[in-house]
Amino acid sequence: MELLIKNGAVYDPFNGIAGDKTDISIKDGKIVDKVSSSASVIDAGGRLVMSGGVDAHSHIAGAKVNVGRIMRPEDTRSGIKPRTKITRPYTGYTVPNVYAMGYRYAQMGYTTVFEAAQAIMKARHTHEELEEIPIIDKGALTLFGSNWPTMDYVREKNMDKLAAYVAWGLLASRGFGIKCVNPGGGEMWGFGKNVTGLDDVVPNFDVTPAQIIVSLMKANEMLGLPHSVHLHCNNLGKPGNYKTTLASMELAKQVKPSKDRQVLHVTHITFNCWGGTNWGDFESKADEIANYLNNSENVTTDMGQLIFGSATTMTADGPVQYANAKLLHAKWANGDVELEDASGVVPIFYARQVSIHAIMWAMGLELALLTKDPYKVLLTTDHPNGGPFVNYPEVIALLMSNKKRQEEIKTLHEAVHKRTKIPGIERELDFNDIAIMTRAGSAKVLGLLDTKGHLGVGADADISIYDIKPDQIDPSVEHAKIKSAFQSAAYTIKGGEVVVKDGQITATPMGRTFWVDATVPEEQTEIMMKDIRMKFKNYYSISLANYMVQDAYVTHPKVVKAGVIPVEVS
Amino acid sequence: MQTVTIKPKKEIRISVEAENISPDKFAGKTEKDILSMEAWMGNHKTTLGELFSVMVEGSGPAADTKIVMDGDFSRIKRIGEGMTAGLIMIKGNVDMHLGAKMSGGKISVTGNVDSWAGREMKGGELIIEGNAAYYLGAGYRGETCGMRGGKITVLGSALDFLGEHMCGGEIIVKGNAGILPGLSNNGGKIVIEGNTSRPGSEMAKGTIIVNGTVDEMMPVFKAEGTEAVDGITYRKYTGDVIVNGKGVLYVK
Repeated sequence: MELLIKNGAVYDPFNGIAGDKTDISIKDGKIVDKVSSSASVIDAGGRLVMSGGVDAHSHIAGAKVNVGRIMRPEDTRSGIKPRTKITRPYTGYTVPNVYAMGYRYAQMGYTTVFEAAQAIMKARHTHEELEEIPIIDKGALTLFGSNWPTMDYVREKNMDKLAAYVAWGLLASRGFGIKCVNPGGGEMWGFGKNVTGLDDVVPNFDVTPAQIIVSLMKANEMLGLPHSVHLHCNNLGKPGNYKTTLASMELAKQVKPSKDRQVLHVTHITFNCWGGTNWGDFESKADEIANYLNNSENVTTDMGQLIFGSATTMTADGPVQYANAKLLHAKWANGDVELEDASGVVPIFYARQVSIHAIMWAMGLELALLTKDPYKVLLTTDHPNGGPFVNYPEVIALLMSNKKRQEEIKTLHEAVHKRTKIPGIERELDFNDIAIMTRAGSAKVLGLLDTKGHLGVGADADISIYDIKPDQIDPSVEHAKIKSAFQSAAYTIKGGEVVVKDGQITATPMGRTFWVDATVPEEQTEIMMKDIRMKFKNYYSISLANYMVQDAYVTHPKVVKAGVIPVEVS
Repeated sequence: MQTVTIKPKKEIRISVEAENISPDKFAGKTEKDILSMEAWMGNHKTTLGELFSVMVEGSGPAADTKIVMDGDFSRIKRIGEGMTAGLIMIKGNVDMHLGAKMSGGKISVTGNVDSWAGREMKGGELIIEGNAAYYLGAGYRGETCGMRGGKITVLGSALDFLGEHMCGGEIIVKGNAGILPGLSNNGGKIVIEGNTSRPGSEMAKGTIIVNGTVDEMMPVFKAEGTEAVDGITYRKYTGDVIVNGKGVLYVK
């Protein structure tokens, strides 16, 4: 199967191509040097061509997503689209059904999406859903931040055991990397409490959040995992939390990266760059975070952009969700994952005339516009916490057009003028920046640049073509066109197959699930497993045999090798 | 002025989704247009023309459109859904979701209506001469706001959960109401002339007046003495105290 894409205005920042007319040759699902004359041809006609979109942080599958569906039947009433000969039915907006997840991402030109949090114990559920999400490649990050074994080994300063536990946890959950949510706080929420800073001591374990973060970063680099530690900071959702965020970023200096990427990814900054001391003097400190990013290496972030309208907040951060539910008088679901973490789900409606929401809207944009290097800020909405992922085109238009931002600001609560810097920021991103924030940057942060996020020879043939002629459009003025073009790709090509044409799904191949098989010396695993077996005997409600994600749950695996032992790549 | 008369052509046993029967959809349309409008019958797509005979006189905008329905419509759902203006007069019974999400105009029914009539309605008027079933003027599953405005009058009785999650508007029931009227409501006014049980549970705002007997009171209200409303003296309660509610419940 050969395919040639001609006359595209290609934006491929990783390979230094910015709008040049370049032909792309595809053979057997990969990008190659050239194809034979019998290849089928797509004439892009000067339109915008990028690699398939990569989303490094989205909640698309697993226990809490499904809790969101169960508690929000009213959400399922929106976005309904009946089945066709090719597609199954779509439902939902903030918590769509599994099919709509895949279709809607593909329609926007996205081909790779990572679920941002799965507890090991709930991983079977995550994979059951991932196996039903069509088209896109995916993977899931595994929670380690409040796990009992993690905290035991951190206290004992036993890095070998911690690395062995992380490697085993990734295998047990078929996970891709280390996610760390409110480290220590998840455990304390089991007692109705929370940690208030990086140096609080977690009772019964005698460790601090700072120690957990640093130890996990070290274990991550010992194992040479493709992705770095992915951190949801402590104190999230509390005014004044930007100080905790900055202090967490500072911890990254203690660890050297094992690869050409960050050692710490601090996620959804919209929820943790809050200034002030209470809701009355609440303000944006996104500029401080951006300033830090501009003067440091080894730390990356994503926006977690707020979108006005309906959203469903869902996180492993149990205490913050309790506070949210009390504040909003909203529905609340609380979860306890035994020895591993907590969780909570609360629906929310972001309103333009609510000062807090207007200020939060500005935060993600400020971060993206004030940070000089787009590789350090990925475009996300922390779906569905800041808003559903279908709004990425809206975010792209906001980043590319100051005019659109000014129009938007006119409709917002006046607090946006006094408590944020957004009205005075004139920077407008170009297609190259957007390609970084949605493709090359995400792939680099995830450690997948060998096959994802670019259009060089050897990359997966994941390509999107948008109905925009970059040399004939002024994104600043024609922002509505930009938005609608990114909403429905002219073509999305996944693994060399056309899956979307003119915004309509044309084929639904099954994507793969990435997971990391990290090897550690067998004797280390054996020593560590003694502790784990003890934990199962004494505390877990299920047995070890019913805990592991078996191969039957991951029928389209893509295994990425890592580990402390150098591994021959076969 | 446009008048559209609709009569069933045959006995309909399988439920029909008839959201196209609305003054907004019919305004300015010819008989032929209306006959070819889509309607789902169970899992089978059909047209209004397959099910009904339609007669159109005159032509006009939605506000000047009157739909007269004569016959048994007890399997026809979603009549007048989302209508903004005009008039629907139904001589007979209708199925669920009558006038759901309507924001203007008027619907009158001589017979009985099934559940969810006036669901999430924002304005306009609904007059039911027979009885109403469950969830009159309520919000559908998971919704935080049911009826937000407008007026519903039931001359007969209503079943359980009327006005659930109501945020505004007015519901008057001349007969009895089932259990838990005004459950979790957050505004609006409910008047029940007959008997009911456990009114106003979880209410945060709004007013409920019961002129008949209340079989059972929820133990979540604070007694506030007596107060006269329109010349009638009631026992006044506020609550639901469990949710810090500011709702008012008047019981004779």
